[in-house]
Amino acid sequence: MSGADGLETAVEDGCAIGLVDAARDARGLEQVRGLLKASGLGLDADVELFATARDASGRLLACLGLAGDVVKCAASAPEVRGEGVTARLMQRILDEASDRGRTHLFAFTRPGNRAILEGLGFHALAVTDDAVLLENTPFGLSSYVAGLARLRRPGRRIGGVVLNANPFTLGHRYLVERAASECDALHVFVVGEDASAFDAATRLRLVREGIAGLDLGEQVVVHPGSRYIVSRATFPNYFLAREDARASAAAGLDLQLFRTAIAPALGITDRFVGTEPLSPVTAAYNAEMRWWLAEAPLDAPPIAVHEVARLEVDGEAVSASRVRQGLASGDLDAVARLVPGPTLAHLRSLVSPGHRR
Amino acid sequence: MKAKKSPAERPSRSMLFVPGSNAAWLSTVQVYGADYVMFDLEDSVSVREKDTARLLVHEALKSPVWAGVPVVVRVNAINTPFFRDDLEAVVSAGVAIVRLPMVTDAQMIRHLDAELGVLEGKYGSVPGTTRILAAVESASGVVNAVAIATASPRMMGIALAAYDYAMDMHTTHDAAADESQLFFARCAILHAARVAKIHCYDVIYADVNDTEGFLREVAVIKKLGFDGKSLVNPRQIEPLHNAFAPTPEEVERAHRVVAAAAEAEKVGMGVVALDGKMIDAPIIAAAHRTIRLAQVSGVQVAGGVR
Amino acid sequence: MRIEVDAVAGTLESSDALVRVSPAEELRIEVTSTVEAQFGAEIRRTVAEQLDRLGVTEGLISVQDKGALDFVIRARVQGAVLRGAQARPDWRKL
Repeated sequence: MSGADGLETAVEDGCAIGLVDAARDARGLEQVRGLLKASGLGLDADVELFATARDASGRLLACLGLAGDVVKCAASAPEVRGEGVTARLMQRILDEASDRGRTHLFAFTRPGNRAILEGLGFHALAVTDDAVLLENTPFGLSSYVAGLARLRRPGRRIGGVVLNANPFTLGHRYLVERAASECDALHVFVVGEDASAFDAATRLRLVREGIAGLDLGEQVVVHPGSRYIVSRATFPNYFLAREDARASAAAGLDLQLFRTAIAPALGITDRFVGTEPLSPVTAAYNAEMRWWLAEAPLDAPPIAVHEVARLEVDGEAVSASRVRQGLASGDLDAVARLVPGPTLAHLRSLVSPGHRR
Repeated sequence: MKAKKSPAERPSRSMLFVPGSNAAWLSTVQVYGADYVMFDLEDSVSVREKDTARLLVHEALKSPVWAGVPVVVRVNAINTPFFRDDLEAVVSAGVAIVRLPMVTDAQMIRHLDAELGVLEGKYGSVPGTTRILAAVESASGVVNAVAIATASPRMMGIALAAYDYAMDMHTTHDAAADESQLFFARCAILHAARVAKIHCYDVIYADVNDTEGFLREVAVIKKLGFDGKSLVNPRQIEPLHNAFAPTPEEVERAHRVVAAAAEAEKVGMGVVALDGKMIDAPIIAAAHRTIRLAQVSGVQVAGGVR
Repeated sequence: MRIEVDAVAGTLESSDALVRVSPAEELRIEVTSTVEAQFGAEIRRTVAEQLDRLGVTEGLISVQDKGALDFVIRARVQGAVLRGAQARPDWRKL
């Protein structure tokens, strides 16, 4: 039985709400790209679908994108007035997300859209000049932070490190070791997104096992990733191929959250980061870190930022990308000098005997 | 509170569909004056929202907002996984009429009758008070219309639904085309309604902006003898009611017929005559219907409406 | 009734309410309403009453009200809680 019995509520605001599947509707996607461009926005590659509003002739009037659990890429033609259309687009996005099992959503948009989103049930988490990050529950961040607070360690100087660890190398271990030596306790956060060569669960395990080898015991706490630290919600550019000036805006939201919500829960006073020779996005993030954590006039204590020079092996900085290159070429002997035991064991398990050179 | 009228007495020109998942419509359409409002749990509710629509409809039925307003609930078809839960939700809230879609034969009605009996017992309703409106949407339903209409004392009406019926007939419903496409089906359910002495309702008119087409269709079904029509938008209510209203001349004549009948009874005459012609029971019954319709439609006659 | 998973019921449309629930060790209720001044207190009462009838003593409940009538708020709270508890309604007790 189709819905063709005419019981759909009449089109309101003169707009019909529809959907553009980014993977299948090339034409629709081009129209969306045009609308975003006219608003000065790019079309992020990770958006799976767009809710669209069209007029009677089929012209695209407004769009709103969904990338995983992040609502973003919102744009509307100048003649679209009122919040009615945005509410209907958002309802469509909520329905589509709910169909995909996602009920906890984030929104990443321009500060000018903050009030509209708050009217739609979103709560702001962090704001910069260029962007605002919101989530659709009043309890998300506060619940996460309450959970973190139970893992506080005593001490005057408490450190924090955020790692992707893709995979965990001797360079990462060195950073952790140096940070721990300067602090009473250290909190290590492992990025939780499954967007890297090694999935989140594997990376977390290798971090735990690699750090265990340092015998630091209770002094170090390893935290699995969350939506609130270096995630597609807080720092989308880390996960997109885009390499432009907007990388700084996205880093601001993530760093703000770290300073105003995460650090206070754990009493973090110092953040440690390795110098970044290779990735421009990570380099930009580190540059922003000093401003947002140590200098910005936020309503939260400043956090001292320490850049630790990378560990070098064979005259080169140890990096996870070097390890991945070695893995790709099957040259595990070179890789062995760059990673601790548990990581090497895992890498060996990935390379089948027949292909080892 | 007004005493509840039996279906025979209550005007039944308009039956307004309201999607059971739409909170705004469920909160406001009682003011538009439809003779019946039908909360829909079937086609206008997505599968994802079947559970929440059921809750909305259950709470609406119990709410003072809907007290005293004649409400019908369209449940999902008998062979769907939603049917039983729909019935539980609405009988427990004391629904007056259940509309069953896709009725193909009398057996379905008997089955619904039995289910309603069980649930009335479970939830403490007076047995037999939940009525049934059967929607016919297929060739089988049309040819079995009389059996369906007479299958249970709970039956209060039979309705035709065009879209699925047309598909079953290997064509597509086209409201703009001439009415011969639905003629047989309409006649079948009309006859069934008259045999069973219940109401009959015509198909919805989906294009809410096409007033002309709507009124054309209403004129056709009024002439055929339909009691009313299912509607999809409050905007259709007034035009429908106006079209169904008797003319002042018809009302005036109806009053004269009723007066003549009353007079004949008073003087003990067995035969009623008006203007030299004999008037028998069907004419008198029709006159009463016309007067009731006039009252409901607000038609005035010189000398006042009795 | 225990809320086991995140769930949501309702919409952001005018005259409706969007209710979101998630599991927790304590009970926290947050209500925002477009008619806060006139009806805020009444809405909170309705929500609390409905949670009580459903036997919900723990959970994070957020209600975004868009001017919904009483029966709509009740139905939306029921919807979210039942989905969150992955339970079927007891029509006598709602």
